[in-house]
Amino acid sequence: MSATIITDEDFLKFKEFFYRKTGISFENSKRYFVDRRILDRMEATGSETFREYFMMLRFQASGEEYQLLTNQMTVNETYFNREDHHFKCLTDSILPALVKIKKNKSPIRIWCMPSSSGEEPYSIAISLLENWPGIHEWDVEIIASDIDTGILEKAKAGVYSARSIRNLSPEVLRKYFTKVDVDYQICDELRQAVEFTRVNLAEPLDTRGYKNFDVIFCRNLLIYFDDISRLTAAETFFDALNPGGFIVLGHSESMSRISPIFSVCRFPEGIVYQKPNPNR
Amino acid sequence: MALKRGITPQSDPASNPESPFDFGTAVKQLSDQDPALRRASVHALAKHPEAVGALVDRLKKEEMGLVRQSILTALVGIGDAAAVSGFAECLHSEDANLRNGAIEALKLLPDRTAPFIPALLADPNSDVRILTISILESLKYAEVESWLISIVEKDTHVNVCGAALDLLAEVGSQHALEPIQRLKQRFEHEPYVQFAADLALKRIRGN
Repeated sequence: MSATIITDEDFLKFKEFFYRKTGISFENSKRYFVDRRILDRMEATGSETFREYFMMLRFQASGEEYQLLTNQMTVNETYFNREDHHFKCLTDSILPALVKIKKNKSPIRIWCMPSSSGEEPYSIAISLLENWPGIHEWDVEIIASDIDTGILEKAKAGVYSARSIRNLSPEVLRKYFTKVDVDYQICDELRQAVEFTRVNLAEPLDTRGYKNFDVIFCRNLLIYFDDISRLTAAETFFDALNPGGFIVLGHSESMSRISPIFSVCRFPEGIVYQKPNPNR
Repeated sequence: MALKRGITPQSDPASNPESPFDFGTAVKQLSDQDPALRRASVHALAKHPEAVGALVDRLKKEEMGLVRQSILTALVGIGDAAAVSGFAECLHSEDANLRNGAIEALKLLPDRTAPFIPALLADPNSDVRILTISILESLKYAEVESWLISIVEKDTHVNVCGAALDLLAEVGSQHALEPIQRLKQRFEHEPYVQFAADLALKRIRGN
């Protein structure tokens, strides 16, 4: 197996297939990363050639191998309170603005995508409990989604290394986590509060039920998409939001460079984007 | 009040039934008075290359920016020669927003757009030729320089030649030097051309 190589033609074929399925585009600079993971899966499945493996990937009825490879290809490095100015923006600016325009007391719905191993949705939950007085007046639902089923299981388990929780204060750690050997497990209350779901953002059938959100966190995902997939994702997010709802992107991402359909909102904590509200 | 667990949205079409897709109905609804319905129809047609003609027709008429953006996105997603041809037609529009949308769309489809470039650069409308040069800025093709040189050699419109010179200043090589010199002679009484040509020559020569 070690002599097996992925040719340029194989790489191109895989790259096009994976892009069509997920919207994720691998440039040649990612060649080693992609080759390594394909070769690992070929070995795990006993595939003698790339062609044999690719046929299974494409035509396997269960889609199991496609999902396993997707899990390998997605990047999941994150930690609690990453780019925490966005959480401050949520509690200090976005939610106060939202509750002013909400017409009823229906729950505030937050969609966190990609959830990765759960650090981001749990960070949002902790921020709400710690820093938003409105949590005593409003119900909040957090739905966290990812394309990687393996990472979703980790998120549900909620067990984190010291590296992952390095930005949390001792007080927050004491309040919401239990030490389990060398790791930290988030408390049941928060694990029960976040709904984790598997979603491929590039697949309309996956996203069609995702509606009526007030806030979307989609940080550091669109950087892996090409321009055309970003355009489509912007349409999906637009449809998922209530009028006046907000979308938060990563610090290096800009909705203005993707699509003109959102308004720019400059809050003291940073720039976010809003679905226009025709009733205002 | 507190954190409350949400319910998993139903993604499976079997458990989230919508009216079955009907191509003819979706095309008809592209002209509906309700923009939300028009947009929904665009989304329904976004995976159907056979809808390109209807989408392009709607794009040319659509006045609501949100629906227009959905059509542009759908057509870019289909991204075939018919879609590119539709975008190219929009370069003739009087509507600046539509023209700009079409330009951005064409830039996203460089491989499909390239074969249309020679005809667009020969369009009788000088505005279309200028807009086409703005598309070339983002096309990474070896032919870009030869297309620009061809304009500099032949185009009779001063603003078209000026736009070509601006881009040649960025991407031109030694091959462009003589054509630019000849352009200076063709427009010897046009100070703007003289200025832009001298700047391009200076940049290409690297001094």
